[in-house]
Amino acid sequence: MSTLAVHDHEVAHHDEDHGHHHHDTFLSKYIFSQDHKMIAKQFLVTGITMAVIAMILSILFRIQLAYPDKAFPLLETLLGRFAPGGRLDANFYLALVTIHGTIMVFFVLTAGLSGTFSNLLIPLQVGARDMASPFMNMLSYWFFFLASVIMLSSFLVQKGPASGGWTIYPPLSAMPKAMPGSEMGMTLWLISMVLFIASSLMGAINYVSTVLNMRTKGMDLWKMPLTIWAFFLTAILGILAFPVLVAGVVLLIFDRSFGTSFYLSEIVLGGSSVQPFEGGSPILFQHLFWFLGHPEVYIVIMPAMGISSEVMSVNSRKPIFGYHAMVYSLIGITVLSFIVWGHHMFVTGMNPFLGGVFMITTLIIAVPSAVKTFNWLATLWRGNIRFSAAMLFAIGMVSFFISGGLTGIFLGNATLDINLHDTYFVVAHFHLVMGSAAIFGMLAGVYHWFPKMYGRMMNERLGYLHFWITFIGAYLVFFPMHFMGLDGVPRRYYAFTEFESMKRWLSVNTFVTWAAIMAAVAQFAFLFNFIYSIFWGKKATQNPWEANTMEWTAPVEHIHGNWPGEIPTVYRWPYDYSKPGADEDYIPQTVPLSQTMSSNLPHDFEDNPAGLEAYAKWAEAQKKSDEVK
Amino acid sequence: MGFKSLISSKKMLSLVAAFLLLGTNLLMAQEAPAAAAATGDAATPSVWLGPAYYILLFAVVCFAIGIVGKILRVYDLSQQIQGKKPINWHNVMGVLCLIFLVAGMYGAYWSFTVHGSMILPGAASVHGKKIDQMFWTTTVLTMIVFVITQILLFTFLFRYRYNAKRRAHFLPHDNTIEKVWTIAPAIVLTILVIFGFFTWQQITNTVDAKGETASIDVDITGHQFAWELRYPGTDGKLGKTNYKLVTGTNKLGLDFAVDKNTYDDLQADTMVLPVNKSIRLNIHAQDVIHSVYMPHFRVQLNAVPGLPTYFKFTPTVTTAEMRRQEGDPTFEYLVYCNKICGGAHYNMKKVVRIVSEAEYQAWLATQKPYMTDQVKKDLKFAETKPAAKENRLALNN
Amino acid sequence: MAKIEQEDKYQFAPKKFNMWVFVFTSFMFFAALTSGFIVYAGGHGTGMDMKLPAIFTYSTVVIVLSSISMFMASRAARQVQLGQQRLFLIITIALGVAFFALQTYAWLILLPGMGVYFSNPNASQSFVYVFIWMHLLHILAGVLLLANTLWGSYKERPQAKNLFGMQMSSIFWHFVDIIWIYLYVFLLLNQY
Repeated sequence: MSTLAVHDHEVAHHDEDHGHHHHDTFLSKYIFSQDHKMIAKQFLVTGITMAVIAMILSILFRIQLAYPDKAFPLLETLLGRFAPGGRLDANFYLALVTIHGTIMVFFVLTAGLSGTFSNLLIPLQVGARDMASPFMNMLSYWFFFLASVIMLSSFLVQKGPASGGWTIYPPLSAMPKAMPGSEMGMTLWLISMVLFIASSLMGAINYVSTVLNMRTKGMDLWKMPLTIWAFFLTAILGILAFPVLVAGVVLLIFDRSFGTSFYLSEIVLGGSSVQPFEGGSPILFQHLFWFLGHPEVYIVIMPAMGISSEVMSVNSRKPIFGYHAMVYSLIGITVLSFIVWGHHMFVTGMNPFLGGVFMITTLIIAVPSAVKTFNWLATLWRGNIRFSAAMLFAIGMVSFFISGGLTGIFLGNATLDINLHDTYFVVAHFHLVMGSAAIFGMLAGVYHWFPKMYGRMMNERLGYLHFWITFIGAYLVFFPMHFMGLDGVPRRYYAFTEFESMKRWLSVNTFVTWAAIMAAVAQFAFLFNFIYSIFWGKKATQNPWEANTMEWTAPVEHIHGNWPGEIPTVYRWPYDYSKPGADEDYIPQTVPLSQTMSSNLPHDFEDNPAGLEAYAKWAEAQKKSDEVK
Repeated sequence: MGFKSLISSKKMLSLVAAFLLLGTNLLMAQEAPAAAAATGDAATPSVWLGPAYYILLFAVVCFAIGIVGKILRVYDLSQQIQGKKPINWHNVMGVLCLIFLVAGMYGAYWSFTVHGSMILPGAASVHGKKIDQMFWTTTVLTMIVFVITQILLFTFLFRYRYNAKRRAHFLPHDNTIEKVWTIAPAIVLTILVIFGFFTWQQITNTVDAKGETASIDVDITGHQFAWELRYPGTDGKLGKTNYKLVTGTNKLGLDFAVDKNTYDDLQADTMVLPVNKSIRLNIHAQDVIHSVYMPHFRVQLNAVPGLPTYFKFTPTVTTAEMRRQEGDPTFEYLVYCNKICGGAHYNMKKVVRIVSEAEYQAWLATQKPYMTDQVKKDLKFAETKPAAKENRLALNN
Repeated sequence: MAKIEQEDKYQFAPKKFNMWVFVFTSFMFFAALTSGFIVYAGGHGTGMDMKLPAIFTYSTVVIVLSSISMFMASRAARQVQLGQQRLFLIITIALGVAFFALQTYAWLILLPGMGVYFSNPNASQSFVYVFIWMHLLHILAGVLLLANTLWGSYKERPQAKNLFGMQMSSIFWHFVDIIWIYLYVFLLLNQY
């Protein structure tokens, strides 16, 4: 068996030229680490940093929305030319909105969420020594890091960062003269995005390959935890969708810099400057963008769903209800997510018949989502719910998913979308269903797997505080926004003072801003808890949550190759919680059925006739001995 | 020990309370000058606009939380020492979930009544009424689901909170119930889809039916950052445009040389439309994507450069009626931009006024044509120039 | 032997799978570009309106030949004939470079000579350039990969590793070949 332990070194070696691998230097252990656990932590810390930055950006523009007429000298001190006289510049406001969206969607909820937990959990939960290609995994992180740095560096260029909205629709994004943000800032945005996509693809390729090729003995697909299913399907989505965005971005770069007309046509700038572009189609970009863009929102939410399922099952001390239905609904969402992108384009002037078709597919996707929600509720029913901080966040995720998902039924309906498109109703919808829900899934993951990552526990009570303020805060922020949308208040407006009819929403905006500030301040409780616990938290035991999945059979100390000696074999599905007849209320996946005869059910031997026979014999013997008694 | 800690905790609590009070007092006291500062001289900020105040406040809050945390810990420890049970956080959280449910439901109700009364009035167009109908159907259905699921979620949390003596009910799956809740939403959604699909078809099916009087053509063109309107003149036809001809004087690039229909095309500052007449809004953009958004009529369509689109609708409520209905004598319908288009995106609007047919005709008669004297002069110039050349040629011969 | 098999199972197989998935992502990229073309050309009714120069036929022949020689190199590697493997690898690289040169000549000299420019109101014609360039990027990567494999074959390496390198580069090279054929056929069908 020593060959297995040795080979791991071989893996690390494989990609040549790192002569000094045997003894970990600081550089190879913390910086250019190829260990999936370290890479996961790198993703997490970078993701959290980016999240804090994006959150601060959101507070800045929330202040503008609440006090459009007030000057804040501090802003000028902080932002300089972007806030002349202490008031945000209108173009910079758009830049803030754009970069907030980009960072949150891509850098936090794609890389920060998938990157962290796929890296940490895939090898640990399927029983692998590391990823298929640890070197590629390392590259994936460093591309992500570089992309983050470039994205943030766009704040330093003269004309400011990209500001055409995170969807960067041309012609606005394609013509440097159309707005200041479409100059250097847009170029940096595009470079950053290409690097980011490269990073995501490298990650996703590794995740798929690891799940399919490197599962331990006994771990067939139907014994994988829902987390792994979610990460696996998310990675597939990424592989299919991201290259399409690259294609769209490449054409955009050509339009910007080489005078082609893929997306541009019949343009007159500034009322008299006729541009040479002819024959292009701005709608083409939207098709290419949303072909990625829509799967992207599922790339964001599916890992959160997987994490919440796992956390809720563990903390309810109850198997996840309808495991198969959960997997099939994930698969359903994956497949359907590729044929719904047109619902972002109902009012672009696209062929109305196409709009109708997209509306049907979009509303179909609500069915698997509904199934998931009901299954979560059924998981809680008659459970024995332990309120760990992770559990609370998982519940928060479900609550947000319901609230935000229901408004999706309005927006997926082309008829209703006519009046709701691009209003605050949309903002409220996606911030609840994919923003808050996904971030809560991520936080649930952080609280739950913190002991696995750092070998210490986070403070639960501070977690409670963090949860309640954030949870209430998020509802206070986004709930009133629905009504603004129903009043026809458009998103991405710098101020509502220019419209008599929108002025009455100013008080609501002020309220929302203060709720947002409150929720933002609550994040310091998390940050403090996170950093403090890394160094001084309570030491974790091997299986602090009494969970079944494989990662808790690995030692607390991080070792190369995850398990000393042989990787444990898997005998059962991961959700044997509170099984009648068992001594404990959990049975880890690595416990063979032969050791738990008293709790076995005929169902456990579905594909195992020999086992079923043995079980029948045992049951008969048991009956006899009972009779004797 | 327990007694002592209780005293100390009380002390701590009062300290916290004092701090908080002080904070509030400061806040209240500073609010008045702050308001003055905001309206008056913004260059000299008052204390509460300064960051130091907030940092201090933040520090105080952190301090308070730290103290509360310590108190709880001391309390727990003292209980343990006395052989009593420490705080049962599962119960606390369970109760909090219940409180949240009740407070949240009340909050939602409050928001629905208060914010809900601020939303758009009923649609002022024919197709908009259908949209409203769909909207309310969907709202009722989703609200039922919302209330039921949230109640279930949070009562389950309270009802099944942790109890060391109890064991969870092992229930991995139940095919019947799973089928039920797959099929039930599927049926509801099918109904919504079918209604939505047909309504959508009706709204977007914009071919004029036979025998119907032709819609009134109105052109709306978006550019950074304004809308331009164009009405057909007496001939009822809009002339051709060509983006290459756009200049300062010919803002829409009307092709006077090619199409005579352009001669009587009118420009307007306000979109005045006759009530109960079918309007065909032709939508153009010159530079970037804009979106024509007229929420009161439930009209929205993007204006895409190089891709002219149109939206047909029939307004049913005049501005005057709406003013009466809303009790707001200054009410105006608006068209504004709803697709990010640059720095002044937030201020790109035009007034829409729905009037009676007679008023419309009267108004139309006062509008100026695009063919201004300046344009005429330019055109003449262009026409006479080749003639002059010919003359010169003739002279040379 | 058993050890190699085990190593292969745990080390090489997943990496080969990685290559397959990567090939798939690349395919998605070209699929997106070609569907972009279809959406564009279909929406505007403007096709390419040009006859593809004959040079693309020659370059297609060249790249098909290179695929054959790549196949020969792989076979030689399986039969542990290092000399032949190197020879065929060199031929493949040479053909790859030749393909690169032909394509570059086509887009740099021939297409502009025909009045087909990259910066063009008819973006269908610009698409031709994009297809060629994006594919050449892959050719470049492929040639580098091949060169790396060739270089590796001069070092003392265990057969398993040598074979693994060959398999990785041949998957990629055949894919690049197939992609060009796909693009070429696509362009031929859309000439007018």
